[in-house]
Amino acid sequence: MFEFIVSHYNYWMYIALMMVGFYAMMAKRNLVKKIIGMNIFQSAIILFYISTSVKRGATVPILEHAHEGHGAVAHAAHAVDVMQYANPLPHVLMLTAIVVMVATLGVALAVAIMIYKRYHTLEEDEIMMSIRRG
Amino acid sequence: MKILSLITVVFVGAALIYGTLDMPKWGDPHSPASTHVSPYYLRHSLHDAATPNVVTTVLADYRGYDTLGETAVVFTAGMACILLLRAGRKRRGKGHV
Amino acid sequence: MIAQIPILIVVIPLLFSVLCPLIGLWRKGLCYSWAILALSLCAVASIDTLFAVMGGGTIHYRLGGWAPPFGIEYVIDHLNAMMLVIVSLISLIVAIYSRRSVEQELPEKIVYFYTVFLLQVTGFLGIVITGDLFNLYVFLEIGSLAGYALIAIGEDGAPLATFRYIVMGTIGACFYLLGVGYIYISTGSLNMADVQQILPQLYHSKVILTAVAFLLAGIAIKMALFPVHVWLPDAYTKAPSAVSALIAPLMTKISLYVMIRVLFTVFQPHLSIELLPITDIMVWAGVIAILGGAVMALAQTDFKRMLCYVVVAEVGYIVGGVGLANTVAMKGAILHILNDAVMTVGLFTVAGIVTYKTKSHNLSDFEDLFRKMPFTMAAFVVVALSIIGVPPTCGFFSKWYLIQGALIAKHWAFLAALLFSSLVSVILFFRIFEIGYVFRASNGTQTHGDEHTAIINEAPLSMLIPTIAIAIAMILIGLYNQAIVSNIIAFAIPKL
Repeated sequence: MFEFIVSHYNYWMYIALMMVGFYAMMAKRNLVKKIIGMNIFQSAIILFYISTSVKRGATVPILEHAHEGHGAVAHAAHAVDVMQYANPLPHVLMLTAIVVMVATLGVALAVAIMIYKRYHTLEEDEIMMSIRRG
Repeated sequence: MKILSLITVVFVGAALIYGTLDMPKWGDPHSPASTHVSPYYLRHSLHDAATPNVVTTVLADYRGYDTLGETAVVFTAGMACILLLRAGRKRRGKGHV
Repeated sequence: MIAQIPILIVVIPLLFSVLCPLIGLWRKGLCYSWAILALSLCAVASIDTLFAVMGGGTIHYRLGGWAPPFGIEYVIDHLNAMMLVIVSLISLIVAIYSRRSVEQELPEKIVYFYTVFLLQVTGFLGIVITGDLFNLYVFLEIGSLAGYALIAIGEDGAPLATFRYIVMGTIGACFYLLGVGYIYISTGSLNMADVQQILPQLYHSKVILTAVAFLLAGIAIKMALFPVHVWLPDAYTKAPSAVSALIAPLMTKISLYVMIRVLFTVFQPHLSIELLPITDIMVWAGVIAILGGAVMALAQTDFKRMLCYVVVAEVGYIVGGVGLANTVAMKGAILHILNDAVMTVGLFTVAGIVTYKTKSHNLSDFEDLFRKMPFTMAAFVVVALSIIGVPPTCGFFSKWYLIQGALIAKHWAFLAALLFSSLVSVILFFRIFEIGYVFRASNGTQTHGDEHTAIINEAPLSMLIPTIAIAIAMILIGLYNQAIVSNIIAFAIPKL
């Protein structure tokens, strides 16, 4: 049981973090706080993916001694000890996801600026009030 | 509203944690994620692309199309911001600031 | 060259959109023709691909030449190919239609409007064509971001509606990404075909169960399934007319496509139908969506807003049809994706013309329109009849298949919801026809025959021709539905 918790608690931490962001996205009435919540949610997903790339005792996926002698390259295909290096794929996926996240953040902030220009506030309640007033 | 959000959050979080119960252990080198596709990248990166940094190889070669998509996302965001905030400002600018 | 056509479908709009701001620097008016050129080439490539698929079966295209589970590949079967043609043709029609409406509503933003317009289409096509789960997410985000920007430049209140859409849309995309992450953890692969091979051994894993739930929840938000549709009416009502005409038909249909893909390609029908009660839940979700959409549509006084709820109800048709999980209903659901895309674009182009002429889109603006705009209203009548489901318009045939499917599955609630919603559509549209025949007395106390010609105040041709073309297409699809079903859709439905 204890071993199970130790080997899975990292997932639970990321999920807790995601839920913090998710709650902020839904419950906060300030638009910037919603955006921050969105960022926390996305960052937690990124951490979650990255944690799947970990192998115990492995190092970063940069092959060592790669360019020592060109003849060795042909053999290298079989010589690489896969257990020695972390899984590169989640890193790549998350590089893409980070960019997507930044882009979403940018557009969300641009829209928030438009809202601010129109209503001079970012509090959802005040915006609703000023809409109701006409 | 806050209570409803809290219930949703707890429910979603519980569903996600339920899903982790069957997941491989953290750092397990024999997990499916580490044994199915990724060893191919580590083994063949040097031969296919002559790059020791495997992340670079996957980013720019094996999954280069994703990276094109990523660049397109940045371009989209840039164009979106121009469309939302800049375009047409000059004409309107004098009327009201 | 011929072998490279699949990639051209996505690359052409992307490349043209990158060059669009440069063209705009030189001559602003050229951007419109530029977008049309891009989308025409794209449409030609899509149609060519459809014929290639019909002739030679599924196309696999390796991007960069890397073998599938390691690299990304396009997999184009009958379903994709049909979706590609729908997306590229509808965006072409909307692009042609958009000219005057954009000139009126967004005169300073023409250049960047068409840039983002093309990016939007790129995103849609990229989602449809890919065979890789993560790549789908990337293009989903391109499409979503472009959509946010296009909607936010609409009328007053659009930015706030967009902000809500961004929050909901991001939650949807994040759920999808989480689902993909759960699949990746338990299979180690992102390629749809590869995942399909690995998954059957894992069907009892809790990870996969959660993955299914989150993938479907994310997609449901994106397609505006009834309880999570709240972002849709506001966003699509306040968007510029050309944008609602582009996004309203396509975004929901593409999400529905992704749903079918996930349910029947990534997971095998065996899981979705037998092991888990997914399809049963879907039928009921469809029933609720149809009833909810229909009832809400009745309560609206704004024409575009009413159409938005019609879209919500139509999503329910397709979700329910897929959920019935028999061949006939599935045929109906996929045919309805095609029909509904055409019908929705028809409705929103009419809404755009009304907005162009009257500067607002309330139901009361339809007063007198049968006399002022006979051609537009003729097209509108065809679209409305199709939504109601009157033969020989296309809407009848897909509804017929869906009803047959409901009878086979003995799902009376879905059948009742279908009939109820058709009845509601009758009320909705005949109410508008009635308003359209109210001739304003102020235009002259008496209306004699010879005065009619003087009063006609038709929409500009660049808007009218696409709208009429859509109406004609609707009848043609209806007449040739048998050919479409037996040549394309029969191969597109998953083997149940």
